[in-house]
Amino acid sequence: MGSVTVSLVLNGEQRTFEVPAGRRLLDLLRDDAGLTGTKEGCGAGECGACTVLLNGLPVPSCLVLAASCEGADVVTVEGLGGDRPLHPLQRAMVERGGVQCGFCTPGVVTTGAALLEHGITEPLEQGRRLAGNLCRCTGYSKIFEALQAAAREPGDD
Amino acid sequence: MTDGGTPLGGSHARPDALAKVTGQTRYVGDIALPGMLHAAVAAADVSSARVGSVDTSRALEIPGVEAVMTAQDVPGANLIGVIFPDQPLLVEDRVRMVGDRFAVVAARSPEAAWRSATAVSAQLEPLAGVHDPVEALKAGADAVHDSGNLVHTFRVERGDIKKAEARATVVVEAEYRIGGQEHAYLEPQACLAIPEAGRVTVLASCQCPFYIQQGVARVLGLPLSAVRVEQAPTGGAFGGKEDYPSEPAACAALLAWRTRRPVRLLYPREHDLQATTKRHAMRVHHRWGADRAGRLRFAEVDVLLDAGAYAGLSTVVAERANASAIGPYDVAAVRVRTRVAYTNNLFGGAFRGFGAPQVTWAHEATMDRLARELGLHPVELRRRNVLGERRRVTSTGQRLPAPVMAKACLEKAVAASSAGQPARALPPGRWLHGTGTALVLYGCNLHHGGQHLDRSSAVVILQADGSAVVRVGLTEMGQGNLVAAQTVAATALGIDPVKVEVWQPDTTTVADSGPTVASRGAHASGLAILEAVRRLRRRLDPVAAELLGCEPSQVMLGGDAARVFGEPEQTIAMEQVVQEMVRRRIETIATGWYRSRRRRFDPATGLGSPYEFYAMACHVARVAVDPDLGLVRVEHVAAAHDVGKVLHRDALEGQIQGGIVQAMGWALTEELKLSRGRLLNPGFTDYLIPTSDDAPAISIALLEDAPGSGPFGSKGIGEPSFIPTAAAIRNAVCDAIGAEVDRLPLTPPVIVEAVAARHPFSFLLP
Ligand code: FES
Ligand code: FES
Repeated sequence: MGSVTVSLVLNGEQRTFEVPAGRRLLDLLRDDAGLTGTKEGCGAGECGACTVLLNGLPVPSCLVLAASCEGADVVTVEGLGGDRPLHPLQRAMVERGGVQCGFCTPGVVTTGAALLEHGITEPLEQGRRLAGNLCRCTGYSKIFEALQAAAREPGDD
Repeated sequence: MTDGGTPLGGSHARPDALAKVTGQTRYVGDIALPGMLHAAVAAADVSSARVGSVDTSRALEIPGVEAVMTAQDVPGANLIGVIFPDQPLLVEDRVRMVGDRFAVVAARSPEAAWRSATAVSAQLEPLAGVHDPVEALKAGADAVHDSGNLVHTFRVERGDIKKAEARATVVVEAEYRIGGQEHAYLEPQACLAIPEAGRVTVLASCQCPFYIQQGVARVLGLPLSAVRVEQAPTGGAFGGKEDYPSEPAACAALLAWRTRRPVRLLYPREHDLQATTKRHAMRVHHRWGADRAGRLRFAEVDVLLDAGAYAGLSTVVAERANASAIGPYDVAAVRVRTRVAYTNNLFGGAFRGFGAPQVTWAHEATMDRLARELGLHPVELRRRNVLGERRRVTSTGQRLPAPVMAKACLEKAVAASSAGQPARALPPGRWLHGTGTALVLYGCNLHHGGQHLDRSSAVVILQADGSAVVRVGLTEMGQGNLVAAQTVAATALGIDPVKVEVWQPDTTTVADSGPTVASRGAHASGLAILEAVRRLRRRLDPVAAELLGCEPSQVMLGGDAARVFGEPEQTIAMEQVVQEMVRRRIETIATGWYRSRRRRFDPATGLGSPYEFYAMACHVARVAVDPDLGLVRVEHVAAAHDVGKVLHRDALEGQIQGGIVQAMGWALTEELKLSRGRLLNPGFTDYLIPTSDDAPAISIALLEDAPGSGPFGSKGIGEPSFIPTAAAIRNAVCDAIGAEVDRLPLTPPVIVEAVAARHPFSFLLP
């Protein structure tokens, strides 16, 4: 398989990678960029552990070809806070007990940050749209609490 | 801080949360070493066959492959299995289940490794096999192992059934078929083996590094001291990483030993679902009788566990099922028989609740059946029979100390259920509503039969700046063991929890502490920590006393300082006390040890004290059922738990919420579709675990009136949070549709069928 060159903005930084043509975005992030915060829970688009923001929208990076990301803007859990050390949702998850084993957490906060970014604050709507991010530990209650707390956070975003 | 300035009962941020929420936690899959190889396993696709030869020649030709190993290449014993040595690590002459390993492969990329694994071929002579535990026990059934298919029988025999039956006016009989469950931890099985000449280090996602140490040492033929196992951050476990991880760890260690390079084995999800242990499927037969006043007179229970192809932990699971079969009810005459049978199905293992959820589901179904026969409300029938102040003897004849909280849990949960609001409005359609109640009597920690494992080790090291390092032998897999250990240590040392750093266990830093199971993590680590702190204080208090000018017996610790009892102004910073200890070269490290109390129990009759103490709980579920489509929405679950003492509120609530939702999945959607021992739905597209859109509203009541023997009077919560939920949901669904359903899970076809064959109690419908 030949290789391709992919240039993209990764967590706010312009980066270029030379990768095999069949490489998944998930592997580019984890193996080529060394950003292991994004997790692989299924490799089949079923669990959401690999969620990243692709041009502002949450996508399962295990289903995205790296080669298709030329010119894209990609944000991973490591870059979620932007210039701040933590995104308000990350802080709320820590403070409200929304984290247990943590394996779903990068995906959950990434999708959750996108929901907040798009002004989706109604809990039922959040529940519907977070349904692609499986969590086996928390029963989701404290994740919802964190989303509510982060939405109330003044002066952010 | 709460509770007089200590973190006890509060909700300070978990020590592991920040790294997890920023993606900094390094799980095994996030660690790559120079020269590291990737492992894969060549697994059987049939469930029963005789094996001629295994051909690895094509597998070795795949570019990038460094080693392919079969049973002949095992330097030590080709044997795995925690209790019975009935499972070869690599197949010898028989395939007994789908997923049995013919060979293991190491290659330079995971892709090459898995491609090579599929190129391993085995000469097989297929056998019919046996896939039903009832069939397995019939004469002439195919024997899964030479020892026969009956692995073990447990019993409880108490009172005179004949006499008791004469006084029963209503007798109900039912046969429950209860399905298994996949753990579905979000992080699949993962381990990394790093060899050195003569010894090996294994990093693994697991619940018991000591089991892995034993497994790897046996397979490599090494002394235990040459195998170091460190628990990696673990992305969920729920029992699925208790016994099982020894298998992938032994595979990775074998390959590392052979290639002299680090080898990492990460299970792809499909292989994880297909090959790893499951919650046991059970058949439970009941014959229970009550008198006209609604008092239980006798209970006969016959349980059959499908162990699958290897015993694993099945006998221990059966032991808990056997002891939990009657629930928190006062019944004078009891007969329980619990049998474990081999089949060629996927093997059963540990899973949150450990045999209790299945038998609880059954006893709570029978209680509702009896209530309907007697014309009593199900809650009323429970009130008349539940253990309480005047009725304190369990079904195994164990007398409980007062107060007995089962009745209080029942009343609290019932009240919270009627007050609770559902999370969401229902979509349009025809919905029937129902409420269901379930109680559990949970035996805390390990059963009498596993008592030898009920121990744990801790190390506390005071640092020169007044902070402390804590090591415990029990693991954090999401449930909150780190924060519990931190809370206990900080409370005992009187320092701020942020100054206590708890590190994951490693077999070279703590003694064998057994597995982190049976809701005993916080209990056993906490008590070992308290013991270590007591020993430290024998050295610390005299130094502090000298500095404070008081007697050692007057020294108190709190607020990051030592103080004089009765004279709150007289304090000296902890940092100064420790520095003085360092200056005088006084040892600032101490170990602690915990072991459970001895108790009396007779395995032949099942009578005595199988558990040291108990936690009780009641869950009440409210559901809406679409009877035409068979859909169920769990709207609200009220949970009342006898927790002894809250150590960390968020972690405790998180266990309850997580347990409820996981049990809801088992109750309704998580169906293991097996065909001749093969899982037909090894993916989250058709093995459906609950999503955020399915989560019910949950109200929690915590009762702290009956102290347990855990640290500060606490009791475990990991399993009681799970156990009663599915039963409460079943009872609520039956209440809604006006029919008995005797199978789990209650999938749409099961419900539609039950509605169609509606039972005569439909007159109770509005
Ligand atoms: S790993 Fe991508 S959705 Fe599960
Ligand atoms: S915290 Fe474990 S899966 Fe969500």
